[in-house]
Amino acid sequence: MMDRLTENLMKVLGIVKYILILFLIFFIVTLMKGDKMSNTPIDDVKAAVTGAADMTDLSEADHRTVRRIYGINANDYDGVVMYMSDSNMKVEEILIVKLKDASQASAVESAAQARVDSQLQSFEGYGPEQCKLLDDHVLDVQGNYVLFIVNGQAQEADQAFLDSL
Amino acid sequence: MIFSSVFFIFVFLPITLLLYFVMPKPGKNLVLLICSLIFYAWGEPVYIVLMVFSIVYNYISGIEIDYHRRERNSGRMRFVFWLTVGVNLAILMFFKYYGFLMENINHILPIDIPYKELALPVGISFYTFQTLSYIIDVYKDNVKVQKNLINFGTYITMFPQLIAGPIVRYADIETQLDRRKITPSGFGNGIAWFLRGLGKKVLLANNIGMAYDAIAALPDGQMSVLSAWVGCIAYAFQIYFDFSGYSDMAIGLGKMFGFEFMKNFDYPYISKSITEFWRRWHISLGTWFREYVYIPLGGNRGGTLKAIRNIFIVWFLTGFWHGAAWNFIFWGLYYGVLLLLEKYVLNRVLEKLPSAVKHIYTMLFVLIGWVLFFSPGMGDALSYIGAMFGIGANGFADAAGIYYLYNYALLFVIAAICSVPFTYRLFSRTVFGGRRGKGHTAVAMGVYVAIFVLSLAYLVNATYNPFLYFRF
Repeated sequence: MMDRLTENLMKVLGIVKYILILFLIFFIVTLMKGDKMSNTPIDDVKAAVTGAADMTDLSEADHRTVRRIYGINANDYDGVVMYMSDSNMKVEEILIVKLKDASQASAVESAAQARVDSQLQSFEGYGPEQCKLLDDHVLDVQGNYVLFIVNGQAQEADQAFLDSL
Repeated sequence: MIFSSVFFIFVFLPITLLLYFVMPKPGKNLVLLICSLIFYAWGEPVYIVLMVFSIVYNYISGIEIDYHRRERNSGRMRFVFWLTVGVNLAILMFFKYYGFLMENINHILPIDIPYKELALPVGISFYTFQTLSYIIDVYKDNVKVQKNLINFGTYITMFPQLIAGPIVRYADIETQLDRRKITPSGFGNGIAWFLRGLGKKVLLANNIGMAYDAIAALPDGQMSVLSAWVGCIAYAFQIYFDFSGYSDMAIGLGKMFGFEFMKNFDYPYISKSITEFWRRWHISLGTWFREYVYIPLGGNRGGTLKAIRNIFIVWFLTGFWHGAAWNFIFWGLYYGVLLLLEKYVLNRVLEKLPSAVKHIYTMLFVLIGWVLFFSPGMGDALSYIGAMFGIGANGFADAAGIYYLYNYALLFVIAAICSVPFTYRLFSRTVFGGRRGKGHTAVAMGVYVAIFVLSLAYLVNATYNPFLYFRF
């Protein structure tokens, strides 16, 4: 009697295991839907974005500046490109990051958001135009690429970014 | 959620401890399981699904293996065992290595296959190895099957060591899951371990890591020999204090809940050979590979050639375990080659050398190993190693190198002092070795309170600074 009960219980447990595997497959398929990783070189994305943005007074910054401004280490990523204004009184800037894996996206997003907050704090009260540009910033995460742009042509640059991937 | 955060120290941990100690004995594991799942879900709300799958699937597999053994159905038992090992490894491979595989396929093929790389579930490498240790030991009849789902879930998810180890083998904790002693002195000892780990992470690793970050961000060709060495030494201290700090905190938290976890580090930087270094560094991982890969493969019993093959397999896997990148594989194989050289060629030479020379030899190769480890790719690693020896370097010493050496000299000295057992022995002797116990306890209290307050001062102002081993 007991043996029969155990045998039936084992059968049920076996079925539960197969249901679990089916559920796992469904879970993974759901996770896999969404943004795909892009193999476009970062130089091509950079050319597309800078071609669409207003590049007046913007110059390319080195990795040390990236670390100083955003607190991110460029060597941790597949590629980082940054442009910032030559003048302290302007807020235009562009950051393009090619991630090594998707898990790095949140760190870059947080860094960009922190930059917006700190710039807003600096220009609040006396730089309404700069604050407007900051409020209209674009922060776009697409698979392994992140674009952060504060620019009069931010929307156009974002479209060029999307098209380039 | 990370241990070195204000939220964990002042909200999560006190609430968990309160619930744990208020709950009668039979319910303590349930409290630990629920709190551990919340701890994990805090940072990984989606991947909690994987965690629950892992618990239930492996729990059932353990029961099945045990049942088929009792029924003397070895064929069925073997099938369930291999299927379970396969499912666990398939999950690990998919979430950790799928992106790496697709990237390499795209390099080889003339077309680009679009793919989506998923974020790595935190701690997956650690908890998969724990579940495997359970399944293998149940299969080999080394441990009794765990029939209590809550106890099994507690073993897999226990938050103190869930994210970055130590990798606790089921056999080591089997009895503690049912019976463990919780004493005031054990609890106090746990707090001391936790605070030492907190200090290692917040005061030493995070600060010394800033030197490495700054040097690593130097543009190509701008790194002098001095900068390269300062950066590499800074990283060596950062990763040691970061990872051993995490392990100390995990061991300390375990003690607070009445568990004893194995030591994960034993002053690795005092080693006088690479073999000794790996006996002192990430001990739980080395033990796991020895018990579940090296020995089952035959160890060194089948002659020299088989031993060499087995060592290479273990070190390839050790490197690959650390990350889905070629530099980790090379890092693992690099240690495989060094260990083989020490085992078959250098052992007699090393024996005759003075201790200081042996120490310099070990640290030189460990530091080169760290370059392979921290570099984004093999090309970067080779150019960094080149800069350390003057190839492609921006001179021997430039202003940046001198600046970082001068600014971090004191921290380097403190880090070096804290890397040797003498410091802790002296502290321990001062506290416990004298006759005037009370006065000495006050010294210990003073030191630990100072570590706590200083760490908090850093934590309040610090940005998010996770442990380096979270990404593995």
